[in-house]
Amino acid sequence: MRGRVPDRLTYLLEQKEKGRAVFGVFPALCPKEMLWAMGVVPAEIWDPPLELVKVNSHLQPYICSVVRSGMELVLQGKSDFLDGFLFPHTCDSIQNMASVIKDCMGPEKPCYFFYLPKAPYTEAARTYYLTKLQELAGSLEKQLGGFDQERLGECVRLSNRISSLIEKLYAMRAKGRLRGTSRSFYQLLRKGEHLMPEDLIPLLEQYLTQNTLSEPKGSSGVIFSGILPNPLELLDVLDQLGTRVVHDDLLNCGRRLLAPKMDTTIGPLEALAERYFHLPPCPTKGSGVQERLDFLLDLVKKTDAKGIIFNMVKFCEPEWFDLPFIQKGLKDHGVPTLVLDMEINQDLSAQMITRVEAFLELIS
Amino acid sequence: MGVGQAIRYWFMKEVGAPALMRLQKGRKGRRRRPRPHLGPPLSSASRLREIMTRHYFLARYAKGARPVAWVSSGAPVELLRVFDFYTVYPENHGALCGAQKMGQEICQEAEKKGYHHDLCSYARIDLGHAFSGKTPVGRLPKPDLLFCSNNICQTILYWFKELSHYWNIPLILFDTPYNFQEIKGSDIQYMVEQLEAMVPRLEAISGRKYSDSRLKGVLTLAKETSELWGRILATLKARPAPMSIFDAFVHLAPVVSLRGLPVSRQYYQLLLQELQERVKKGISAIKHEKRRLMWDNIAVWFKLRDWSHLFAERGCNFVAATYTNAWAETIHYLDPSKPFESMARAYSFVILNNNLKHRLNLMREMIRDYQIDGLVIHSDRSCKPYSVGQYDMGRILAQDLGVKTVVIEADMTDSRMFSEEQVRTRLEAFFESLGH
Ligand code: SF4
Ligand code: SF4
Repeated sequence: MRGRVPDRLTYLLEQKEKGRAVFGVFPALCPKEMLWAMGVVPAEIWDPPLELVKVNSHLQPYICSVVRSGMELVLQGKSDFLDGFLFPHTCDSIQNMASVIKDCMGPEKPCYFFYLPKAPYTEAARTYYLTKLQELAGSLEKQLGGFDQERLGECVRLSNRISSLIEKLYAMRAKGRLRGTSRSFYQLLRKGEHLMPEDLIPLLEQYLTQNTLSEPKGSSGVIFSGILPNPLELLDVLDQLGTRVVHDDLLNCGRRLLAPKMDTTIGPLEALAERYFHLPPCPTKGSGVQERLDFLLDLVKKTDAKGIIFNMVKFCEPEWFDLPFIQKGLKDHGVPTLVLDMEINQDLSAQMITRVEAFLELIS
Repeated sequence: MGVGQAIRYWFMKEVGAPALMRLQKGRKGRRRRPRPHLGPPLSSASRLREIMTRHYFLARYAKGARPVAWVSSGAPVELLRVFDFYTVYPENHGALCGAQKMGQEICQEAEKKGYHHDLCSYARIDLGHAFSGKTPVGRLPKPDLLFCSNNICQTILYWFKELSHYWNIPLILFDTPYNFQEIKGSDIQYMVEQLEAMVPRLEAISGRKYSDSRLKGVLTLAKETSELWGRILATLKARPAPMSIFDAFVHLAPVVSLRGLPVSRQYYQLLLQELQERVKKGISAIKHEKRRLMWDNIAVWFKLRDWSHLFAERGCNFVAATYTNAWAETIHYLDPSKPFESMARAYSFVILNNNLKHRLNLMREMIRDYQIDGLVIHSDRSCKPYSVGQYDMGRILAQDLGVKTVVIEADMTDSRMFSEEQVRTRLEAFFESLGH
């Protein structure tokens, strides 16, 4: 699929017409390769741009907007065409929302759950994760028919190809050798939330070829941390002010897309299991504060970023708990930080733009 | 462990604490608020006060004399008892701060350091205490170990991780897979392996040896204690109920934080006896029990006293709560002949680690067994795992069982997150729906 791809919904409906199942997958970390191998298209549900109306009689206002808008999507019937849901165990809110959907709203579609072991890990965690993969394969098989290890092996290779392209894109961007706005960069990455590998890989390749610069075109840069690269208008403001997002520590992007290559000499399930334990640190997995701090300092060093913008989602406990010590640690190392407290589909206020401008002035 | 500290601890245990108890007993009771609508107070309450005062008093001297652990309410503390840890429960401490109306002040100490006011207020109280030393109990000992399980929430892990970083002390997590559909053999196996791996670490931290027979003894004690707690709660099935859930919120402390120690079992034997007596004599928690209510979620600690009067005045007695029930619900899984496996079961099936279908069934059963007329749902801003799903569950229970329900938006300790007026209006409408 060279060139243009249809919008998300059209794409997913086309996939269904091709005979594939489409699953709604909630944030954040899940072995998508397994779904690909079973002929399932994972359609991730992070921030559907919906007015939150129906959800108010199901979830309290103090629940994060990722969970609230995901549930709104279900309540508005916009997920009716899906063939199932997959809920990875990310945080308390996702965990309970999964149970509300399955146990209280009773959708007539299968609901799968994927528990992720939490750090500090013991040796048992590795075996456990592998077993959970096998069990997931077993239950998907009941709904969708034969699970083929060889096909999974192919999907692992495709996934590796995606990872190396994304890694290259990040590296080029950090060096200032990638043309294109932060908006276009993140829009491209986020296509991976619903495209199958055969459609995503050409897009990534195309972007890389068309936008590679022979000479670095430098502008000062910042790192983004938090959940999502939202709102896009924030990225526009940065672009307009001549600041690139040189790297990120976003749950939706870098923390899972910059996965190390999977070992193709071992079994595909084992390779998937190994990957989980080598992803960048993330508070939803229980990663230690020092580990995260070291990771961020290293990222600052490698990318020569001038500061970090914490783009926080309101009521997101895993992110907010770590923030004070991380901010302090960064400050001690002379790294300036800015904290934004946002709903995922919130408009950028004038006051927020002023704060961003003031921050960029400070670091320039 | 220092010899000096050990001697001081021993002295305080043998001499200081008993002297303090005598002093307390001798002191004239606080001027009591009149109780026009409440029944006679429980006489066991003074013994409970003694036990908890002694526990927090000795905690001040434990550091250096005994290994000290801060433990989450759902963690398998039985294992720590084998290594003689002095255990402190930050959640219990948080509740205490809330009840003494210090929640807001200590939360603000954490907020000054950058912790957002939307975070769980138990965590903010604990971090605020760690940064400022503020507490109504004198002093808490700095821990040698942080021990938690995410069977109550993931928040506890985020929170304990901060303490571990701040003090640079070890954190041991008991990772309990959430029961979305069923807990499988692989989940149990994972938990058992974690518990086994804890043994050498706990030996190293405490400097004490593991003993299989000691663990079995502790498990037996814990199981008996929880069973007693279950029998205590069951006395509230009587009409009129001899105690209210507002009392039970307070009397819960030993089964949470002293579980696996003889004192908690002894205490519950005493309390059970008193309650059985009260049932026999028809002594009621409130003067005129007309309506029987169930409470869902953690208590609103700073309103406990006011509300016990308010509800009693309306002839409403709380006779059941999912919260107090949690420490009686799964402990029967403990089996000293299979210590690790049974701990995995007992701790992973707790209410907050279990799906909402389970919670609905449990609530249905309680509504039936305790003859509940109305359900008060505390939507606790601090506690997502308890609160997400409550709106739906309330609706389902009202539809299926015809039980009256009300949702009140509050927080267990942070009074800033509470609108007296809004809650009062909702409660008035609720009382009316109950026929007042
Ligand atoms: S934004 Fe935070 S709280 Fe919300 S779903 Fe994601 S990790 Fe959970
Ligand atoms: S989030 Fe809920 S269960 Fe967890 S520590 Fe806070 S109050 Fe307790």
